Amino acid sequence: MKILVAVKQVAALDEDFAIREDGRDVDPDFLIRDLNEWDDFSLEEAVKIKEASADPVEVVVVSVGPGEADESLRKCLAKGADRAIRVWDDAMEGSDPIAIARVLAAVAKRENPALLFAGVQSSDHGFAATGMAAAAFLAWPHAAVVCSLQYAPGAARAVFRRELEGGLLHEVEIECPAVLTVQLGINTPRYASLRSIKQAAAKPIEVLGLADLQLGGGEVGEAGSASRVRRMYIPDKGRAQLIEGDVAQQAQRLAAIIREFKGETP
Amino acid sequence: MSSSRTDAVTRILFEAFSTAEVRLFYALGFAAIGIFLYGVYVQIRKYRRGAPLRLEGSWWGRLTDMGAKVLSHSTLKRRDPAAGAAHRLIFYGFVLLFLGTATITLEYDILEPLFGIRFWHGGFYLIFSLVLDAAGVALIGGLAFMMYRRGWLKPPKLDYARPDRAPGDADFDRPQYRREDWAFLWTLLIIGCTGYLLEAARLVWLSGRPDVWDTRWWSPAGALLAEALRALGVSAHGGEVLRVSLWWFHGLLALCFIALIPYSKVKHIFTSAASLLARDPLAAQRLPRIPEAQEAPGVAKITDFNWKQLLNLDACTKCGRCHEACPARAVGAPLSPRDVILSLREFANATLEGGALPAAAELDVHGKGPGQIAQETLWSCRTCMACVEICPVAVEHVPIIVQLRRKLVEDGDMDPLLTKTLQTIHKTGNSFGESKRKRGSWSKSLPFKIKDARKEPVEVLWFVGDYASFDPRNQKVTQTFATLLHEAGVDFGILYDGESNAGNDVRRVGEEGLYEVLAGANVAALNGATFQSIVTTDPHSYNTIRNEYPEFGGSYRIEHYTSFVHRLIAEGRLNVDRQLKLRTTFHDPCHLGRFNRGYEPPRELLRMLGCEIVEMGRSRANSFCCGAGGGRIWIPDPVGTEKPAQNRIKEAAAIPGLEVYVVSCPKDLTMFEDALKTTGNEGKFVVKELIELVREAVAAPRPTEVSA
Amino acid sequence: MSGVLIIAEQRRGEMRPVTLELIAAAQNLRRDADEVAVAVLASAPERFVDALKVAGVDEIITVPVAAAEFDPDTFESAIGALISARKPDVVLVAHSVDSFGYAAALAAKLGLGFATDVFKTERIDGELVATRGGYGQKVCVEVDFPGRATVLLAIRANMFKPPEAAGAARVSAFAAPAPASRSAGRDFIELSAGDDVDMTAAEFILTIGRGIGEEAKVPVFRELADAVGATLGCSRPIADAGWLPKSRQVGQSGKTASACKLYIAMGVSGAIQHLAGMKHVATIVAVNSDAEASIFGVAKYGIVGDIFEIAEELRRHF
Repeated sequence: MKILVAVKQVAALDEDFAIREDGRDVDPDFLIRDLNEWDDFSLEEAVKIKEASADPVEVVVVSVGPGEADESLRKCLAKGADRAIRVWDDAMEGSDPIAIARVLAAVAKRENPALLFAGVQSSDHGFAATGMAAAAFLAWPHAAVVCSLQYAPGAARAVFRRELEGGLLHEVEIECPAVLTVQLGINTPRYASLRSIKQAAAKPIEVLGLADLQLGGGEVGEAGSASRVRRMYIPDKGRAQLIEGDVAQQAQRLAAIIREFKGETP
Repeated sequence: MSSSRTDAVTRILFEAFSTAEVRLFYALGFAAIGIFLYGVYVQIRKYRRGAPLRLEGSWWGRLTDMGAKVLSHSTLKRRDPAAGAAHRLIFYGFVLLFLGTATITLEYDILEPLFGIRFWHGGFYLIFSLVLDAAGVALIGGLAFMMYRRGWLKPPKLDYARPDRAPGDADFDRPQYRREDWAFLWTLLIIGCTGYLLEAARLVWLSGRPDVWDTRWWSPAGALLAEALRALGVSAHGGEVLRVSLWWFHGLLALCFIALIPYSKVKHIFTSAASLLARDPLAAQRLPRIPEAQEAPGVAKITDFNWKQLLNLDACTKCGRCHEACPARAVGAPLSPRDVILSLREFANATLEGGALPAAAELDVHGKGPGQIAQETLWSCRTCMACVEICPVAVEHVPIIVQLRRKLVEDGDMDPLLTKTLQTIHKTGNSFGESKRKRGSWSKSLPFKIKDARKEPVEVLWFVGDYASFDPRNQKVTQTFATLLHEAGVDFGILYDGESNAGNDVRRVGEEGLYEVLAGANVAALNGATFQSIVTTDPHSYNTIRNEYPEFGGSYRIEHYTSFVHRLIAEGRLNVDRQLKLRTTFHDPCHLGRFNRGYEPPRELLRMLGCEIVEMGRSRANSFCCGAGGGRIWIPDPVGTEKPAQNRIKEAAAIPGLEVYVVSCPKDLTMFEDALKTTGNEGKFVVKELIELVREAVAAPRPTEVSA
Repeated sequence: MSGVLIIAEQRRGEMRPVTLELIAAAQNLRRDADEVAVAVLASAPERFVDALKVAGVDEIITVPVAAAEFDPDTFESAIGALISARKPDVVLVAHSVDSFGYAAALAAKLGLGFATDVFKTERIDGELVATRGGYGQKVCVEVDFPGRATVLLAIRANMFKPPEAAGAARVSAFAAPAPASRSAGRDFIELSAGDDVDMTAAEFILTIGRGIGEEAKVPVFRELADAVGATLGCSRPIADAGWLPKSRQVGQSGKTASACKLYIAMGVSGAIQHLAGMKHVATIVAVNSDAEASIFGVAKYGIVGDIFEIAEELRRHF
C-alpha cells in the first residue's frame, strides 16, 4: 500500500529584497528556500500511518520544481519517506497551482497510491488550491483542512475531521482512494537530525520530465495555468502609530488607551 | 648471655608453624591471589566489551602526570583539605605496609631460596620496623578520621539520596553503598589494629629472647601494646596463644581483603590510578567526533561507551565533589553527575560482568529502569564542566552526557523549543531566526565603518557571535567594544554575513551533524580571510574555536577580549583616564574560566580600572554557572524552580556594599540581568559587562584625536 | 456570458456574514447591464432568501441539494451545472474552509480562470484583474485571466463592507443534478472544554503569541489580562502547543472575536491567518520586539519593545 505526499519547496523573502527587472516576481537572490511548513505535518501523518501499520506501507514524496528542490526532498527522506520523486521541465516555469496539480495528478496515476496528501496551503503564496485541483484531475474523492485522520491502510473508507472557522470541527467519512489536504497541528512533526539528512543524501531522487508523464508543453507553465501574473509590487505599508519613549512611558500610554476604552463602556 | 647481636636481629617468619600450616597458608595465599586475578580478568573483560579508543600523547607523559597527582594527592586536597590529608595518611600508610610485605616476600620467597641473598636483618630490619609502625599509625589515624567524618560530620556530599529518582524506585536509596563504605573502613581498621596486637603478642611471647625484647622499641606501637598486655597479666605462653590466633585472623582477613579487591570499592586503588593515566585534559573543552565506523550517533547501549569511559565508571569513589559542584543539582534539577556515573556503573556491572553478553535490547542505557539514565536528567546538564574539573580521579562526565544526548537528538527526543532552535540555526545560521544579512546590522549606527574581513586583510579578526550580534542588550556592548577598538587604533574587521553560530552549544546539545555544518562553514570563512589573530567577546565561541576547530581544519591564534584589552591598556593604546573606585565582584564565565583557565586577565583588568574586587565564595575554578550552557538557554525551565542565575545572584547579594556584578560573557549578561530583577535585587547593585566598565574608565578622545 | 454569480455560504442553518461581503465585492465587477445573482445551496434554501435581499442583489437562486451541510461532490456538481447554465463572467466564493474543499477542484474541472485570497478586484481595459498577496503577504500580486470565459475568485473575508440597505431581488429555483456523493458529513464538534470563555462576546481581548517564548510565561499574561479587565486570547502556535485551550485561539481557525473593540496583541507577529479574524476591530495595539513584524501594518498603535517589560510596567497601572 502506498501513500503519495505532495510537497513544495517554498520561498521566503530575505531582508531588503527587490522586485525583478520585469516586475513580475522578486529577484531570486533574495529568496530563502525551505520545505513548506504544512508539508512537515502531511508527511508526518503519512509516516505515522506507515509506522502503525502491520503491513508494509510505502511513503513516496513528490515535488514539482528545479534542482534546488532536492534539498527539501532530502529532508523528507530523512524524516521517514521511502522514496522521492522530483518533476521538472523548463516548460513548467511560471506554473500556477492548477498547472502544478495537473503534473501531480499524472504522477499519482503512475504511482497509484491509496491516499494523496498535500498541505492545506503553502506558506509563500497561500493559494490553498493545488491539492484539490489535483483531485479534480484524478476524479478522486477529496477534502480539505483535515485536522485529524483515522485510516487503516488499504481500507475502503477513512474518517477525518475538518477544522472550520470559529473553533468548530466537522467529522466526515470519505471513500478511498482520496486526496486530503492536511492542516497544521494534526500531529507533532519529528525532528530530522543533520546526520540523517546527510545520510538521506545517499538515497536517489527519481527525476521525471514531461515525456515520462505524457504531458504536453501546453498543459504546464503559463499555458496550463488558470491565472497570469501581471505585476508584483511592494505595497505601501499601513503603519501603526508608534508609541515612543522608555518602557514606563509606553506602558503609561497603553494604560491610558485601555482606560479610555473602558470609560466608554458604562 | 651476650648482648643482642643487632646485625642478626630479624623476625623469623612462620616461627613455630608446622610445615603443614605453612603450606596451608601458602595455599590460601595462592587461592586469594587466584580469586584476585579472576576478579581482575572479569573487570578487564568488561572494559574490553566497550568500544575501542586510542589515547593521544606519550605514555611516559601520562605516567609522570599520573604519578605526580597520586603522590602529591593534589586532586584530593581540593575543596576538602581535611579529607585530602586523611586520605594521604591512609594512602602512604597502606603503600608503605604493602611495600614492606613485598620486600619481605622478595627476600623470603625469591632472593633467599634462589640466590641465597638476605638483607632483611640488622639495622635495615630495625629501621624497616620503625617505618612500618609509623605507616600503620598513619593508616589507622587516617581511617579513624574518615569514620568520624562519615559518621559524625556527615558532609552533605556524602548523602547518597538521588535527585533523579523518587522514593519507591528500585534504585532510589542505596544502602548497599553505605554498607560497603563502612565495611571497607572497618576491615582495614581491623587489619591494622590486629597487626599491632599481633606484633605486641609476639613481643610478649618472645619477651625472653633478648634480640627481640631488647629491640622492641623499634616497633613503638607494638611495644606499647606489649607493655599493656603484660600489665594485664598476659604471660609468655598467653602471648604465644594470642599470637597464633591473631596471626591466622589477621592473615586470613588480609588475604580476604586482597582477594576481594576487584569485587569491591577497594578496586579504586587500580581503577582511579588507571583513570588518571588515561585522562584527557581537554575532555569537556574538546568533545569527541563521531567515529567514521559508528552507525548510529551517540550512546544507546552500554557497550557503545569506550573502554576508558567504562573504566571511569569504576574509578568513581563516590566522593561527592561533582554532586556538590553541579549547578543543576544545586537548584533541584534531576541531575547529579555522581549518580549518572554510579547508575551507569551498576548497569555495566549487571550486564557486562557475566560470561555471555546479554541481548542488545537489555543493553539500552536510556530509560527509567534501574541503572538507566532518564531524558530529564540528561537535558538538565549545563555542560559547565564543574564536575569534570573537580573530580579527583579524572572521571569525564560531560562527554558521557553529551554522547548520551546525541542519541536523544537523533531520535528527536527534545524539548519542542530546542527542536525549533536547532532548525532555526540550520536555516539561518543563528539562533535568533534573523536573516544572515542582518548579522552586521548592529554596526550601522556607529560613526565609522568596520572592515569586512572577507574582502580585505586585517590584523585582528573579531568573531562576534550570535548573542553579541542579535540580542539588543548585548548589541550595546558590542558597539562599545567596536568603539574601543577603533579608538585604540586596532586594525580589525568582522566577517559580517560570513559568520555563523560558532556551534559550541549546538555540539553540547548533541547535534553533532549540525555542529559539523557550522564549524565547516566558519572554518571556510576564516580560512578565506587574512588576519594575524582572532579576538572574541563570546567565551563559548572562544572555547570551540580554540579547542575544537583545529580538528576541522582551522587552527588560529585566538584571545578572549579580557586579555586583549588588558594588553591594549598595558601597551598604552588605551588610557585609563579615571579610576572607577567601584566595589565589584567578578563572575568567571564557565567557558573562559574553568574551560580555558582565563581567571587572571579579567581581574587584572578590573584592578587597572581602579575597582575593588571582592570574591564570591564560589569563584575561579569553582565559579557557579549561570545556567545557560549546554543548550539550556533554548530549553524552558520548569515553572516554580529556582534558576542557577538566581542562586548565583543571591550569593553576590550577600557581599556587603557590592556595587557592580561584573560579567564578561553575553549569555551571563542576559541571565544575570534577568535574575537581578526576579530575585528582587534590582536597585541594590547592577550587572555590567567588563567592556562597559572599560568604557567608563577610558574617556572617548576628542574628535581630532581619533585616527581615521 | 455575463453577470456575477455569488455562491452564498451557510452552515448549520445560519447564513455566514461573508456572503454579504461577496455581494459588496461584486458591485464593481458589473459591466453595463450585468446582473448580480446569489445562489444558495442547502437542503431548504428558501430559508435564506430574506437574509439575501440586500442592495446590489438582482436575483436569488435557490438550489436544493440532498446534503444537509457542505459536501464537495454535491457542491461541485450543482455549481458546475449552474455555471454551465448561466455562463457568468465571474463567480465569487469566500476564501473559506468550505471553499478550500471545492473551489480549486471546480476550477480545474471546468477550466475556469482562478485566483484565491483575493482582496481587490477591478476591470482594467475591460479585463478582470484581481490582486492577492505573495511571499507571506509581503508583496501584492496582480493577476489576470487571458482567454477565460468564466473566472472563479475566492475573496478574502473582512475586506469588503457589507451592503447596509435592503434590496428587492427576484427569486428563482435551479434544479441541480444529484449524483451520489463519495463523502458523508457526520457531526459537528464544538471546541470548548476546560474553559467556558466565549471569545465571540469579548469586547476587550489581550492576545499572546509565540513571542512569549515558553509555557512558564503564560501565567504572567493571564494575570495581566485579569488586571486590565481583558479576556486572554492566543494565536495558533500557542493553542497547538497546548499552552492554552483551543477555545482561546483567535484567528481564522479560532473563535472569531466579532464583538471585539479593543485588541492588544503581545508577541504576535501577525500571520495573515491570525489577522484575518481581527480586521474589523476598531483599535488594535501591537507590542512586539521586531519592528518589522507584519502586525504593525494592521495595528492602530504599536510599541516596539520587550513584551515582558511592557507587561510588568502595565501591570503597575492596574
